Amino acid sequence: MTTLEARGLTKRFHRTCAVDDVSFTLAPGRTVALVGGSGSGKSTVARMIARLIRPTSGEIALTGQDGRPVPRRAHRDHVQMIFQDPFASLNPFHTVEHHLARPLRLHGRSATEVPELLERVSLTADLARRRPHELSGGQRQRVAIARALAPGAKVIIADEPVSMLDVSVRLGVLKLLARLQREEDLAVLYITHDLATARHFSDEVLVMHRGRIVERGPSDDVLTRPRDPYTRLLAAAAPDPEARFRQGGKP
Amino acid sequence: MTWTAKLVSGLCLAAAIVLFGLLGPLLTGDPATIRDVGLTPPGGEHLLGTTLTGQDVLAQLAHATRGSLWIGLLVGVLATVLSGLFGIVGAYAGGVADEVFSLFSNVVLVIPGLPLVIVVAGFVPAERRGTWTIALVLAFTGWAAAARVLRAQTLSLRNRDYVAAARVSGEKTWRVICVEILPNLLPVVASQFVFAVVLAILSEAGLSFLGLGAADSSTLGTMLYYAQNGFALQREAWWWFVPPGLVIALFGGALALVNFGIDEIVNPRLRDRGRRERDVVAVRAQVAPAEPDAVLTVRNLDVVYRTARPVHAVKNVSLTLRRGEVLGLAGESGCGKTTLAYAVNRLHRPPAEVTSGSVALEDVDVLALGPEELRRFRWVRLSMVFQGAMNSLNPVTPIRAQLQDVLRTHRPDLSASGRELRCAEVLRLVGVDPARLGAYPHELSGGMRQRVMIAMALLLDPQVMIMDEPTTALDVLVQREILNEIKRLRDELGFAVVFITHDLPLLLELADRIAVMRDGEVVEHATAEELYLRPRHPYTRELLASFPSLTGERGALLR
Repeated sequence: MTTLEARGLTKRFHRTCAVDDVSFTLAPGRTVALVGGSGSGKSTVARMIARLIRPTSGEIALTGQDGRPVPRRAHRDHVQMIFQDPFASLNPFHTVEHHLARPLRLHGRSATEVPELLERVSLTADLARRRPHELSGGQRQRVAIARALAPGAKVIIADEPVSMLDVSVRLGVLKLLARLQREEDLAVLYITHDLATARHFSDEVLVMHRGRIVERGPSDDVLTRPRDPYTRLLAAAAPDPEARFRQGGKP
Repeated sequence: MTWTAKLVSGLCLAAAIVLFGLLGPLLTGDPATIRDVGLTPPGGEHLLGTTLTGQDVLAQLAHATRGSLWIGLLVGVLATVLSGLFGIVGAYAGGVADEVFSLFSNVVLVIPGLPLVIVVAGFVPAERRGTWTIALVLAFTGWAAAARVLRAQTLSLRNRDYVAAARVSGEKTWRVICVEILPNLLPVVASQFVFAVVLAILSEAGLSFLGLGAADSSTLGTMLYYAQNGFALQREAWWWFVPPGLVIALFGGALALVNFGIDEIVNPRLRDRGRRERDVVAVRAQVAPAEPDAVLTVRNLDVVYRTARPVHAVKNVSLTLRRGEVLGLAGESGCGKTTLAYAVNRLHRPPAEVTSGSVALEDVDVLALGPEELRRFRWVRLSMVFQGAMNSLNPVTPIRAQLQDVLRTHRPDLSASGRELRCAEVLRLVGVDPARLGAYPHELSGGMRQRVMIAMALLLDPQVMIMDEPTTALDVLVQREILNEIKRLRDELGFAVVFITHDLPLLLELADRIAVMRDGEVVEHATAEELYLRPRHPYTRELLASFPSLTGERGALLR
């Protein structure tokens, strides 16, 4: 069990402030959704948590199962990330096997665990020999999820994990993430611009706008009874066929 | 790996020359032996004749080929290593290292190569001017251009998500470069290497011809140098200078073919088949009489990609678009919706082929139009907003010029002030301040650029507009604005829209009628209300169930 606490995260690029004083806690078995439009800074938060970029100020503290802080060099054993575009996040040159065996070895585990890992994300073991271009979008994203699980991470950052996928496979991938989260007691940061999946998939919602968190709370409260004007705007912008046919008229 | 004709013939020719260089010297005699049979023409004992001093040309050629190849290989390897070091490592490291490295390669690049080679080669005394000296000099002047190419490629690769993913999984920097980035650069490195080898052989021949080559080696260049000094041309001893020249030309040609072959493997579009320009319509069907009120009628349209395994991308599709109507075309990636849109517009390119069916816009048989008629038809009566349209604006000209271009082409008699007025008018229509006409695309937000693209499609008052995923790359708020804009324009201008997207809820809200496509077929075609309340096809039901709703019971979906 690992808990991640972000305190006062701030990132400035030259003069613009991409992320401004963002704090939250990721606890085992809970999903926090980070919602916002494009350019709101949500991906920058993800990259800071994954230690791909360094925050200008603020800190990211990890607490391990034993209640002691996790040292910085062990960060990647505990925190892993799933990227948005499964067509870009797998190296076209390498097989599925390579993508899973490397993180296993790097974190002191054996590459013989690859078939087991594939099984956990509901893929068959014979997929290991294939290259990314031979897989469908949904299969690729499952491989990317398996890669994130390989180091035995307990904190998963999912940066728009389904927005590049075909609609009919999106729910399947989200259900897989939800199942893994329940079974392994993962702490998940779910980044999305889709309020509906955020509501169904997460316990807590943070709404981000221009680098700041403008509203936060239990997902049902925030998304069905938004208080902040920006959240209200977001909620109203999502296409809502029900409204059209409930009134029974033309738009 | 795909073996193309160019690659195979290039490799065969190069292999033959390399074999000659490797084995030739073992089979022929000592090239330096002087005999009293000066300038014997080819034939008999000396297959390629003799030089002025009676040395066997064939034996000389074999040794010279070996010498030239050796120089080429040395320089090729050295230049590739240098360019990799400065191009790839610098670009990956970024920051100061990148600036210093790229400054250095730029400086080396602008140093004129051959003069420097001549100066350096001339500076080193002849007796100490060995093969290695020459190779080092040639490598130093030859790596910079390749480094720039590799740097540009690496800069784009290092931002790929798979590189970020490797870093997140804890890979060390050198492993990220060698295992994740380098393999994807291999085609570029290979073609740069081949280019460096050719350049080295040519430069070395030039140097040796000028008498500045390595003292201890015999190469094709030194052969030419001695032929020149022995007045081979004046004595009409062609067998002395033609063979070395021919070997250089053939080897250069072979490696050029290899390079073309590599390019074709990396970019399959370069292969000949795809370069036929015209769209193919392999059918002449009678245009069926249109329903009253129909603007666009598609009947039994089939589109096939004539590749090794033909792909039937659009199967027997029939659609009718009525005046002032929004027809939604819903489907997932690869279902053929974009292919259909392209065929309707006659924008499909080989290997795509319309094999049967008809497309009619009011009274125009679209599939029967000739090139000039097609030019007058497109955009005037039927315009299109492309997928990722906001990135299809030209980044280096202001939007005014791009809008006016359309008018200049299709309304040549319109005055300059008339053009300006019309451009301002369409921008106002899509809700962009006409003052932004002078703006460059990068000065506009994604939503604004998309509006400009819609304005461009509106310029000539088309009756039908096809929009291919016009809001997919935009965030929800901007998407909402664009949708409201489309509804308003439809009501104000009364044109008809074919709206292509994978987002069914969006269509349910916007469209009058919806066609659901799967694997090239329209599986269901109904009014939006009918489709929402009473979906008939299982696939439609599956799609509808894929979109969780903001209201309704929470969490039920994921159990």
